[in-house]
Amino acid sequence: MLRDEPTLTPLAGCTDLYVALNFGTLKDTRFLDLWRLDRLRKIELRGGALSIGALATFTDLIRSTLVRKRLPMLAAAARDVGGVQIQNRGTIGGNVANASPAGDTLPVLAAADAVVVLQQAGGIRRVPFDGFYTGYRQTVRRPGELIVGIEIPPVRGRQFFRKVGTRAAQAISKIVMAGILGPATGSGRTARIALGSVAPTVVRVPRTEAALASGASIEAVQRTLMEEIAPIDDLRSTAEYRRRVAANLLARFVCGASRG
Amino acid sequence: MAEKAPGVLAVIHHGNAPTLYRPDNDFMSASKPGEARVVFEDDRVHYSGQYVAIIVAETLEQARYAAELVQVSYAVEDPTIETDAALDSAYLPDEFFGEKLTTTRGDPDVALSRAAVTHAATYTTPIEHHNPIEPSASVAVWNGDELTLYETTQWVAGARKTVAQTLGMPEEKIHIVSPFIGGGFGCKGFVWPHSILSAVAAKRVNRPVKLNLTRKHMFSACGHRSETKQYVQLGAERNGRLVAIDHDTVVQTSMVDEFVEACGNTSRFLYSCPNVRVRHRAVRVNVATPTPMRAPGENPGLFALESALDELAYLLNMDPVELRIVNHADVNEQARRPWSSKYLKECYRMGAERFGWAKRAPQPGSMRDGNVLVGWGMATATYPGIRSPGAAKVRLLQDGHVDVVSATQDMGGGTYTTMAQIAADVMGIAIERIRTVLGDSLLPPAPVSGGSMTTASILPATRKAAQDALSKLRHLAATMPASPFTNRRPDDIVAEGGRVFPKGAHPSSGLPYEDVLKRTNQTEIEGEGYTEPGPERDKYAFQSFGAQFVEVRVDPEIAKVQISRVVSAFDVGKIVNAKTARSQGYSGVVMGVGVALMEHTVYDSRDGSIITSNLADYAIPVNADTRSIDILFVDKPDPFIDSDGLGARGLGEITVTGVAPAVANAVYHATGRRIRDLPITPDKLL
Ligand SMILES: Cc1cc2nc3c(=O)[nH]c(=O)nc-3n(C[C@H](O)[C@H](O)[C@H](O)COP(=O)(O)OP(=O)(O)OC[C@H]3O[C@@H](n4cnc5c(N)ncnc54)[C@H](O)[C@@H]3O)c2cc1C
Repeated sequence: MLRDEPTLTPLAGCTDLYVALNFGTLKDTRFLDLWRLDRLRKIELRGGALSIGALATFTDLIRSTLVRKRLPMLAAAARDVGGVQIQNRGTIGGNVANASPAGDTLPVLAAADAVVVLQQAGGIRRVPFDGFYTGYRQTVRRPGELIVGIEIPPVRGRQFFRKVGTRAAQAISKIVMAGILGPATGSGRTARIALGSVAPTVVRVPRTEAALASGASIEAVQRTLMEEIAPIDDLRSTAEYRRRVAANLLARFVCGASRG
Repeated sequence: MAEKAPGVLAVIHHGNAPTLYRPDNDFMSASKPGEARVVFEDDRVHYSGQYVAIIVAETLEQARYAAELVQVSYAVEDPTIETDAALDSAYLPDEFFGEKLTTTRGDPDVALSRAAVTHAATYTTPIEHHNPIEPSASVAVWNGDELTLYETTQWVAGARKTVAQTLGMPEEKIHIVSPFIGGGFGCKGFVWPHSILSAVAAKRVNRPVKLNLTRKHMFSACGHRSETKQYVQLGAERNGRLVAIDHDTVVQTSMVDEFVEACGNTSRFLYSCPNVRVRHRAVRVNVATPTPMRAPGENPGLFALESALDELAYLLNMDPVELRIVNHADVNEQARRPWSSKYLKECYRMGAERFGWAKRAPQPGSMRDGNVLVGWGMATATYPGIRSPGAAKVRLLQDGHVDVVSATQDMGGGTYTTMAQIAADVMGIAIERIRTVLGDSLLPPAPVSGGSMTTASILPATRKAAQDALSKLRHLAATMPASPFTNRRPDDIVAEGGRVFPKGAHPSSGLPYEDVLKRTNQTEIEGEGYTEPGPERDKYAFQSFGAQFVEVRVDPEIAKVQISRVVSAFDVGKIVNAKTARSQGYSGVVMGVGVALMEHTVYDSRDGSIITSNLADYAIPVNADTRSIDILFVDKPDPFIDSDGLGARGLGEITVTGVAPAVANAVYHATGRRIRDLPITPDKLL
């Protein structure tokens, strides 16, 4: 169907689409319902990688022992999404495709070097998460292409996830951070850190990661992070708040006692 | 274009609307539009969200589509959105709902200049929107020249009169029905344009019309709480005794009406103080007209006063509860009247005890739980004990059921329940046999479900009506031939516990109520009850009081406040129903947490449009934002509130009044940071 009509808008849990419809910002008028494609709901190990079907809901992620074991920070992120109703309907594919800078699973996937699996009638391609987003709400997904799954290579190290929202549930993030702290290398430590709600897309912070690897003091790493991100003032928070809380979360993550 | 769109039945706007009339804008006479300007009255747009046209179509989708085709051409002017931009034109409104807005007692300036300790600060609160989960709606049905409006209104009687005057119709031709309301908090108190629009549209297309507001409309079409800026000065002696209070407020009102959030009025009498000045100024902005929102005046006003008192307590090195007890007002010093009843000290004691206040370490930042900063704060809560005339009827039917009816409303607070309960008590029958019918303008008149007045106004009337029904039943029994009552006068007959029997005899010797009706061939007996406030209003000051204690936990890394515990103790007279009363307590606390930490409507200062007109961007608390909530009541009857001895003052509004200042005070105690600008969002605490 998508081959014949590539402009059909895929719909999954509709938890973003319905909001757009209600706001009158949804331009699309023709849709393709993916909801019953159970094949795209599987969570399994494939060749060492954790493979998550695009239609896996947040509830599926929370309940999956594979996810909890291999990528507990993803389960933590899923638990912080909306409320139970949204967790039951909202899908990881929708979260990724929707491309909001505040999408809660995105920093997890970015930090974990996930790969987005795209498919269209012509075949499959795999896009590293790093290269998936091209700008505010923009992705490399072509019309007629579906996200069919996410692949996450094995993760070694301690995982961290923290979301700060406007309230205790049903909250859009003021800031969200995910990270993986690897084993010590020489004097420093390998780390992969990603943040949401601090830029037009979810971002990795390579300079901060490099500072950590070089064994710089935590204060120096925090300073690097505050320089590296360029958040804005908006309804939900201020740039200053996001910068400083990002630095605080980083210290909490690196110095231990993490929640995620 | 819109006219020709599929399914469109009518497009009504300024150019083709029928003549509408400005109704009396007078709460006391029960005619109160939300906004004095009548919809489509002129071709000026005074604020973002104002109606410019209404489209009626076969389906909602068709109407929405057509609405997008409407083209409006505007001559753009520069709006005034912010208080500061309009400060130069601030004016002194004279009176509001019968209350003076500027008053002075003693000489506050001299007292402040001589006071041993003074405190002065500005406190600000933002525009807030009521946001009941049920948005407002109106369904209009014409039958000849008669109009029935199915409404979401807190005041069917007010709606009837206001709609009648606006449409230029006799009141008798208008029927307002509003049996259930999914929350109101004040935004459904007065008549807003959508109710007029549905009536006009239904007339135009000659069939019933339904008009539902969207969540977005709820931010511009049915009022809000004004932003406030309050400059508070306190002067005290070293022992804590207040010598001066100066409470100077600036609020916003709209270009098309005047509504004043009377923040300072409580400051005139909440504490004993010889020198008090209260002033309110208003500025006109291009924002829709404000309206009462749960505890109008008290809610932002107490945030300022009770925060200021907390600050004074620190300056004096005194316990905040102790400071309030030292300044306890034994009489209402503004009205120069004794209180009808007042157990505020009892509230402080009960609340403090349950909360464990005695274990509080006064130093800010001194109570920690690991990394988390813990803070304890408190504030006084208060709201007047208002009462209005009200009527009810109690009908005893042959099948044994009892109908209790009144044109009051139930917003979810439990009016159905408490009225049935009172009737069941008086009649001595099971509550299951009682059916309560409310929210219909054909029923006996009742006041607005607002101002926390329903309980005190309607329950005494209900009790009277039930007593009247029993009295009529005794009279009827006395007419029964060949019965246990033969030759008895009504006074010698007892009607209680569901049975009518001769005085002095065992109840079993008589008959069930309904049998008296059956055997006299009466379909029903109707008892009437009407009660109104009397001379006691000039002798006493009626006021409810409370004390609210809050524990916050602040995670310093993210500067976010979590409310972990709230204990509230209230003196609201007699508690009629513990469950519905406690629920008002819970809801007031939850709403107060929203006021304290989240709620804030953001306008674009360039064009006055509302940026936060949805429940994602306008955050109200979820369950997880409040943890343990304890509600305690003194539960001592007010001996003067009603002459029928019920002794209950209302409690819908007082429950929210002390929460925001108690939270702010707890946050200071936790962090040493005094936030005088609501809401206390994390960015302000960092
Ligand atoms: C009340 C509420 C609370 C929320 N809270 C949160 C929160 O806390 N955190 C958070 O991150 N999000 C939150 N959301 C947003 C939303 O739930 C998530 O983004 C969710 O993951 C979207 O998934 P969905 O399946 O519902 O997507 P849909 O709404 O069905 O689709 C969203 C977009 O993705 C596209 N799409 C969906 N699936 C595919 C696919 N397989 N291939 C290609 N394109 C696809 C659609 O075309 C559409 O453009 C919330 C939403 C609501 C309504």
